[in-house]
Amino acid sequence: MSGQGKGIWGYLEDIPREVLYAILLVFFVAPMIYPLGLPVPITANVRKWYATIDALQPGSVVMIDFGYSGGGEPELGPMAVVVYKHLFEKEGVKVICMSTSIEGPQLWDKAMAEINPSRYGAEYGVDYINIGYIAGGETAMAAVGKDLRATTSTDYKGNSLDQYPIMDEIVDASSFDLLICYTTGGDQSEGWVRQWYTVYGTPYMCSVLAMMVPTMLPYMNAGQIISVTSGAQAGEMESLVHAPARGIKSADVITLTHILCLAYVLIGNVAYFVNKSKGEVK
Amino acid sequence: MELNLVIQIWLASLFTIWIYSVAFRDNDFFKFAEYTFVGAAAGHSLVYAVDNLRRYGWDQLMGGAYLYIVVFLLGIILYSRYHPQYFWLSRYPLSVMVGIGIGLSMRAVVTAEFIAQIKSTAGIKLVGVTDPIQLFSNIVFIVLVLTTTYFFLFTFPKAHEGGLGVIPRIARYGMMAAFSYSFANTVLSRYNMIFGRLDYIYNQWLPLQGAIIALPIVLILLIYAMLPPEKRPWPKKQ
Repeated sequence: MSGQGKGIWGYLEDIPREVLYAILLVFFVAPMIYPLGLPVPITANVRKWYATIDALQPGSVVMIDFGYSGGGEPELGPMAVVVYKHLFEKEGVKVICMSTSIEGPQLWDKAMAEINPSRYGAEYGVDYINIGYIAGGETAMAAVGKDLRATTSTDYKGNSLDQYPIMDEIVDASSFDLLICYTTGGDQSEGWVRQWYTVYGTPYMCSVLAMMVPTMLPYMNAGQIISVTSGAQAGEMESLVHAPARGIKSADVITLTHILCLAYVLIGNVAYFVNKSKGEVK
Repeated sequence: MELNLVIQIWLASLFTIWIYSVAFRDNDFFKFAEYTFVGAAAGHSLVYAVDNLRRYGWDQLMGGAYLYIVVFLLGIILYSRYHPQYFWLSRYPLSVMVGIGIGLSMRAVVTAEFIAQIKSTAGIKLVGVTDPIQLFSNIVFIVLVLTTTYFFLFTFPKAHEGGLGVIPRIARYGMMAAFSYSFANTVLSRYNMIFGRLDYIYNQWLPLQGAIIALPIVLILLIYAMLPPEKRPWPKKQ
């Protein structure tokens, strides 16, 4: 098909990807500069997640797996931050963090800088702690579940766990009232079901990349996971916790860019069928 | 703001722009960012690997757990795969690793991924469901479970022809819907990641001194790098 007499639909079918990306970039940047403040509807899974944390009693101990990589931070970071804020707001709830991702400890530091635990009166070693990256994936989950102190005797800074009061009564998976996992890897999110929920019955929630949600939903439907959320739903959680941050800000952008994406799909398909009807399909 | 944080923000922002520039066209800045990332990630992993050896192995051994000698030996033997004559030795530690992995998975996999899932599927109700949307959803679920099971179990040609052909066709549509749901979620994930990086550039980097001037320079250099050498305004080819 020559360029001459191609018609509008012919051009629309052949838009260079650079142009499509440039328009997409405009749709990303414009709402960042001029926020629209679109409403954020709260879904059932996020409500369930919020209610589970809200129901934690003083003295409850929560295990968090910071299992995401740097690439997943823009999506999962806001969710991790807002959930930590909610946990710190709950009086007497203790939070122990570990990482099945090698980048986890650094990303945890980043999250803590954003949260500022002292603002909630939370003290390291008393109300929260990070026992660091534990190598081995599912083997690490099983080992921590069986005997945490035998798996690691130090926190992520290399200090002995014995000096921290939060670790006093922590023995194994049965010491925890809730398990939360943020991860960019299917092995981790599914591994916790196998190694903790199935073996010890520890209540479990996970926040994963949006693309992993369809894989995790069958576990939730079977009652093995209380709630599955994607990091993209951080805005919903921020609304519930009344701590607006990065998640809320992304709502405008995500909505607009998805409208554009739908427009691309629509234009591409209409152009294809129009050209096909004219016998001009390549 | 501390100087190391300023440097960190500048580097993170520049690398973000360089990495995403490949969406428009391949260029040397992208390559530089890509290779730096691979190198940094490898170095980071190596440091952690050595730390893990110390934390979980060496410290335990020095603490009197002499059984760890076996673990260290198995680890060393793993490297025999690079020796043409003794490569077969590496199969022993590998078999131990695979064995432990399978053992740990299998203790829960039957319950977690078969019994619980089958129980949950079998528990889908059609009677006594008052919500019409839920009822419709349950009917679709049951139809797709049955047709998809048929699709994969009965693979001989006659099971996919004639009147019976309707069943695998329904299964195919169902699977396509499921895949498209996954794909749509992938788009959402990617958009979120892009937003996260752009938000970082906009809120962390651009407010820094000099960043507003640096941004157009970076973009001009990128456009220059994306041009084919013969189209570059400078240096002129003789």
